[in-house]
Amino acid sequence: MNISNKLLQVKGVHKTYGEGQSETSALKGVTFDVLPGEFLGIMGVSGSGKTTLLNCIATMLKPTSGEILLEGQSISSFKGSQLAKYRGSRIGYLFQEFELLDNLIARENIVLPLSIHKENSKNQELQLQNLAKQFDIEDVLEKFPYQMSGGQKQRVAAARALISNPSIVLADEPTGALDTKNAKVLMEKLSFVNQRNETTILMVTHDANAASYCSRILFIQDGVIFHELRKKVPGETQNAFYERILTVLAQLGGGSRHVL
Amino acid sequence: MFFDFIKRNSRKIRKENGVYFGALIISIIAFYIILSLGEQDVMAYLKTVESNAVNRLLLMIPMLYAVSLFFVFFLVYFANNYQVKLRSHEFGLYLMMGMKRSRLFLMIMGETLWNGAIALMIGIPIGVFLTELISLITSRLIGIGIIGYQYSISWAGLGLTVVGFIVVQLIAMSFISLKLTRKEPVDLLDDQKEESQRVLNPIWSIVSLMTGAVLLLGTIFLCTAYGLAILYLRNLDYRMFALIIIVGIVGTFMLFRGLGSLIGAWIKRKGKSSAGLFIFTGRQLQENVLNQWASLAISSLLIVMSMVCFVYGISTALNNDLTSSKTADFTFSGSEKEIISVLTSDELEPYVKEYYEMKLGYLWRFDPEENEWLDTFSWSGLSESVSKEVYSKEKENLLSELTTDNRPYLISLSSYNDMLRSVNKPPIELGSDEVAMYSDEEFTYSHDILREALQSKPYVNIVGNQYSLSSTLYTLNVVADRAITLSYALIVPDDLYDTFDDREDSYLLNMVLDDALIEEKGLMQAMYEVDGLLNASGLDYESYLSSMGRKLFFTVAGSYTTIYLGIMFLIIANTVMGLKFLMQQKSTRHRYFTVAMLGASVESLCMSARVQIWLYFGLVILVALISSIFGIWSMVDTFPNSISLNNGIGTVVISLAVFIIIEICYILMIQRKSDEEIKKLKQAR
Repeated sequence: MNISNKLLQVKGVHKTYGEGQSETSALKGVTFDVLPGEFLGIMGVSGSGKTTLLNCIATMLKPTSGEILLEGQSISSFKGSQLAKYRGSRIGYLFQEFELLDNLIARENIVLPLSIHKENSKNQELQLQNLAKQFDIEDVLEKFPYQMSGGQKQRVAAARALISNPSIVLADEPTGALDTKNAKVLMEKLSFVNQRNETTILMVTHDANAASYCSRILFIQDGVIFHELRKKVPGETQNAFYERILTVLAQLGGGSRHVL
Repeated sequence: MFFDFIKRNSRKIRKENGVYFGALIISIIAFYIILSLGEQDVMAYLKTVESNAVNRLLLMIPMLYAVSLFFVFFLVYFANNYQVKLRSHEFGLYLMMGMKRSRLFLMIMGETLWNGAIALMIGIPIGVFLTELISLITSRLIGIGIIGYQYSISWAGLGLTVVGFIVVQLIAMSFISLKLTRKEPVDLLDDQKEESQRVLNPIWSIVSLMTGAVLLLGTIFLCTAYGLAILYLRNLDYRMFALIIIVGIVGTFMLFRGLGSLIGAWIKRKGKSSAGLFIFTGRQLQENVLNQWASLAISSLLIVMSMVCFVYGISTALNNDLTSSKTADFTFSGSEKEIISVLTSDELEPYVKEYYEMKLGYLWRFDPEENEWLDTFSWSGLSESVSKEVYSKEKENLLSELTTDNRPYLISLSSYNDMLRSVNKPPIELGSDEVAMYSDEEFTYSHDILREALQSKPYVNIVGNQYSLSSTLYTLNVVADRAITLSYALIVPDDLYDTFDDREDSYLLNMVLDDALIEEKGLMQAMYEVDGLLNASGLDYESYLSSMGRKLFFTVAGSYTTIYLGIMFLIIANTVMGLKFLMQQKSTRHRYFTVAMLGASVESLCMSARVQIWLYFGLVILVALISSIFGIWSMVDTFPNSISLNNGIGTVVISLAVFIIIEICYILMIQRKSDEEIKKLKQAR
């Protein structure tokens, strides 16, 4: 496979915390690729290293060794202003706790990445309206976060993650703070954006239900990739995929009770 | 072990709350300086000449002390309330781990005491040093030899500083920690969350129209207060004064209450076309103003007060020329024989260099037949000459003084020449039909105009005869007693003088001390000794030193206390503003983190915070400066004598410079703190 076809390459990433006797390894050589347009899920029990992995990809952490390439460029070695250029413009983020700025109205929150990167274009308003429509948040654009429901907040956050047309969206437990109904709405919207706009999404989750929207799932345990599931396209229903995910989770470290 | 724990916690508090700790140290220094005033060299000296007034001032100091203690209490309570809230999770954990409530209370009090002790250990040496420096500078300014310099520590001041400071801290802290230790551990553990939710739910959902109206109303109120101050304050009517103060205060509060919505509207208008962190910066500022309008208004008012205090204090310190010319050392009044017999006695003789009569009396002539005062004099020629000068306030004052003055003092030429000779100045020589004009050094504001007007040698009319005025204006003091000041007088030839002065009881005699003696003992010591001898003689006399002391006292008392208050107000206002800002920044640090994740560099975040700080302080300072302009303007109008316009501008410039330097120092300090906080955010991840 040609390198240019791989959007994200994670190569032999190790991450250790502490020194000497207190040294602990969170990641022990993780290697995988993400192709353009993929909706990749990462699952694992608490302490398996999945959040560490996401943080490494999100440039919040530096790997101890190994490399992470985004479109052929090693983002793990970036510093200062190089990093700032990538964040928010090439990488979009979706957090469990939304992380909206509560003193900015929704509209201001969504276009914030564009302002920060000084990319205010004429199309900005059009793009904003499109996203607002897709995520069904047109009514709340002029509202402050405290005037919105949790589901609306997370959809505003999703619009913010997508506004700069990033190469990849990293989502950390995006349904973690939502009720079942809102979680379902959000996952449907994300899945729609993924399929229609071919936006690449990498999502870390506990939630087998949310994971069933993915096209591929990596299971991580004790710092290594332990298993991989692919949705059979075409043919496999979401429910069938869900069942398969549950089966793997049951095998992981003795069952799903650890993760819930 | 428990003590080590307290020490460790205290160190952490000092590090994290450096601005507050610094303010505590400065207030300790200020406390000591004001409390040791009574034992400063200049006051010790003044006590000997002006004991009544000094004692009254010293009675006033405890009041100043109490007011300052109240402000410090406010500061301690406010800063620690927040500090404790931030640590409530930590306290909750201690309780869960089995720490007794009483022990937690002891721990918090222990930390307070320990930090208080450290602040005292730093503050008191600086306070002692500064007090000595001030003492030395005042002695120098007044003249070496007049007041001896002596190193001294005010033990009473020291004691009161330590006790007051510790007691205020303990009271404030026990309020806070009692409230805290009554809470359940679960509330403590959750307290931080509650706090952040409260921040999430600001009061600004209230209709913005209303706040807009409030803003307008506030501005109108403030303008009304300014207008009233300029128009009516000089009447010194206390009801008008109260009205101005109330309208001004209410206006300031309303202005800040409404300001937030104005910022919001501005962001909305500008926001769409903006790049970078403009919106973030603007919204952070707006939230600060909306949540803290009351503190901002108080800070702004405190700054106005401190500006007015500074201008008053500095102008009092600068404008009164303390070292004005000394002509005679003692002036006696009474019977000539008695005085001279004392001065030529064996005891006093070695001290006396010379003495001469100072002939001084009213220009008056009484008509016994008509039983009334005759109109014998007018300044009309001079008035005419003055009225040709360009318009100024001083000129108008001078003209009205000259028209109402029809009985000026007369000074005999020979006496004045005696005086000039004793200070090694050339004597005056008057032509025929010529007299000279005299005006005391106190009245400098009119001297420039008078000198100009005298160039044309105008005429004055004395009992129907015209005399021309000499072109020189004479200002050297005629007597030692500075309480006697002559605004406008005439120096006339002795024969003319004798035609008016027929009274026996107004005999004045000036005495000058021996130069060698002053050289050897210093002026103060020499005067003390002579004073002791003269006291026993029962003569009526005034000395240069005691009359100067009276003036010196008003200067020192006026400038010392007002500058002290000015500094206290300024420090409290700035510390409150700085702490409020840093607190908001700390409680919204997750926002900074999010913005960093969206691609803002640490540098641009620091820059955004710096802009926030400048605007935040700038808003308060701007409102305060505008109010101060009117405040100082009306003060200058109300007390034109203590703040003359000539020096007024210089004073305002100096006060403004001092103020701006202090403000910039504060802003830079807060900026450094904010940068540290933002960089910490980066390290944490």
